[in-house]
Amino acid sequence: MLGPGIAAYLILSVVLFATGAFGVLIRRSPLIILLALELMLNAGNLALIAFARQLGDADGQIFALTVMVVAAAEAVLGLGLIVAVSRKHAELDVDRLTSLRG
Amino acid sequence: MEVLAWTALFSPAAAVVAIALLGERIDRRAAGLLAAGATFLSFVCTAALFFDLLGREPEDRSILSTPWTWLTAGDLTIGASLLVDPLSVFMMLVVSGVGFLILTYAIGYMDGDEEERRYHAYKALFIFSMLLLVTAGNLLLLLAGWGMVGLSSYLLINYWHQRHAPVEAGKKAFIMNAFGDATFVLALFILVQQTGSLDFSVVFADAPDALGENSTLAVLVALGLLGGAVAKSAQVPLHTWLPDAMEGPTPVSALIHAATMVTAGVYLIVRTSPLFELAVDVQELAGILGAVTLLMAGLIALVQTDIKRVIAYSTMSQIGYMFVGAGLGAYGPSMFHLMTHAFFKALLFMAAGLVIHALSSEQDIRKMGGLARELPWTYRAFLIGALALAAIPPFAGFFSKDAILSSLIDQGSLGWILWGAGITGAFLTGLYTFRLLFIVFFGEQTPYAREHLHRERFEGPLAMMWPVGVLAVLATIAGFLQVPEQWHLVTEWLDPVVESVPEATGGLAVFSILASLVAASGGIAVAWALYRRPGDRPAAIRARLPWAANALEHKLWWDEAYDALFYRPSSALAAWLLGRVEGPIVLRSLGGLGTGVRDVSGRVAAAQTGRVRGYVLALAVGLAVLAVVFLLVA
Repeated sequence: MLGPGIAAYLILSVVLFATGAFGVLIRRSPLIILLALELMLNAGNLALIAFARQLGDADGQIFALTVMVVAAAEAVLGLGLIVAVSRKHAELDVDRLTSLRG
Repeated sequence: MEVLAWTALFSPAAAVVAIALLGERIDRRAAGLLAAGATFLSFVCTAALFFDLLGREPEDRSILSTPWTWLTAGDLTIGASLLVDPLSVFMMLVVSGVGFLILTYAIGYMDGDEEERRYHAYKALFIFSMLLLVTAGNLLLLLAGWGMVGLSSYLLINYWHQRHAPVEAGKKAFIMNAFGDATFVLALFILVQQTGSLDFSVVFADAPDALGENSTLAVLVALGLLGGAVAKSAQVPLHTWLPDAMEGPTPVSALIHAATMVTAGVYLIVRTSPLFELAVDVQELAGILGAVTLLMAGLIALVQTDIKRVIAYSTMSQIGYMFVGAGLGAYGPSMFHLMTHAFFKALLFMAAGLVIHALSSEQDIRKMGGLARELPWTYRAFLIGALALAAIPPFAGFFSKDAILSSLIDQGSLGWILWGAGITGAFLTGLYTFRLLFIVFFGEQTPYAREHLHRERFEGPLAMMWPVGVLAVLATIAGFLQVPEQWHLVTEWLDPVVESVPEATGGLAVFSILASLVAASGGIAVAWALYRRPGDRPAAIRARLPWAANALEHKLWWDEAYDALFYRPSSALAAWLLGRVEGPIVLRSLGGLGTGVRDVSGRVAAAQTGRVRGYVLALAVGLAVLAVVFLLVA
């Protein structure tokens, strides 16, 4: 087998996931948050495919494909919501969208 | 034979169901005719039973019909059994016969009332319950009838439920009767425990061994039964409901609160006489209570001003005579008096109903007067009833009351005391009865009577008049069933069921008859002197005896005493519980639960800021913590 071992893939996956999570936590623009979420999903995908290669099992790859479909659907919904929100509020800032406060 | 008995019992029940189901599809008169017709069918079947029994030997006159088992509990089996014997047939004849006449009368009396169908259905329900009571072949079925007559009495007393007084009176009657029912049931518990059965034949056969003569258990059983009888028959000390029950329609007073239901207590004592004879003290107590009641009710009746209440007190007084008789073993004369009383008391109530009807529902005798000229037939009917009630020969009450009194006279010192009470009662009866008669029918017409008297074609509708006529005839001739020293048809008829003590004969009998005649005519004479025409002599007597008048007008403070003894303490206790327990403990603890939950949830809700990044942070931290935990555990 050529190329780096599984550890390298997993480290990259962790870095990507942490970047995404950090982005979700600190950014206020819903568009960026959506991008960060995609990053997290793809970090998960990378880990899945790496394990699938390692174990010689196709299940992980199939799972990765499913996650892509979910990610696509989520992007559609998320963008739709963002457009709807931007029509009501001039400014796109998640910290100001607090009308669900208990 | 058995079919006849079951038909007699269930035909009024069928009428109730039919009236209830048909609702407004039949008109009001048809509902009344249905109820009366069903009762008439009962009467016909009972008459057939009577003649059937008459054709048999006296020993064969008891038929028990048990078509199916009603209920089983362990070793205790209760059959749905009817007992047809001379006693039950005698009662059935009175109930269905007088019942039919009064139901017919009620069709005229209630004509035009708004809820007539309900009235007729209740009335038929009462007839069914009463027939069940008297034909029951075991004590449990008797208790069922006992409870149901209480229920139908309650329903009929507060028939005019829009008014306050009838509703109160109905509740009072129901509660006082429920007390008697409770003691009755306690007696049945003892019987079930000791004899393992409630069938009359088994209980009466086993009781002497199982309970023992004059044992505590026998006394308790007899006391329990007596409690039921006293409550149902409105005897001291459970009598206060009967005068108030006069709030019901007059035919109800005639049927339930004069002729039939209130005599059920006498029937119970006679029916369960083998048990009472095991506790002679209690049986004598029944006689003493009867004597107290007959004197007290006679005295109170002297000052009442409501026409129906006077008659109600006289009912209590006459049932007192029956209790006196039953208490000293004069069962036959008691039942005979029960029958003649049903005739003349129903007659008096129905004649009073005619007066009330003619005077636009007025019941206060102070507003009446001089009605003999205006209502001559009503007057005659009332006079016959009054003469029978006051025990003047040849009217029925004379023979029956005399039969009781002359049975007492040969029964030792207690017999003499009760006899004396009975004679005093006879004087009072003559006095209050004729006071009523003279005030209502003699003297001058009052302005009220002149203004409100309205006569239809006759003194009342035909449906009301002919039952009065039949009862007037019966109240006149029924006494000849039992003529002193000649024949004793009623007592002999009942002999196979209960043996009565013999009536006095010879000089004692003559003495008893003379004494009661003198007393009764003395009472009438006093009434004649005082009340023949309106005058101030009654007022003068009242002024000279203010304490007596006061005591009688307050009905000897029974109501006030019960009010102070039971009502006020319990309502004070209830108020105390409301203030001290319900308020601070129950209500506040529940309220505290509520406010506590609201408080906590308010704090929890504050965590929901609506800031999405906060949620995400919490999610991330939570996940991180979980991951660390899983790693450590693994």
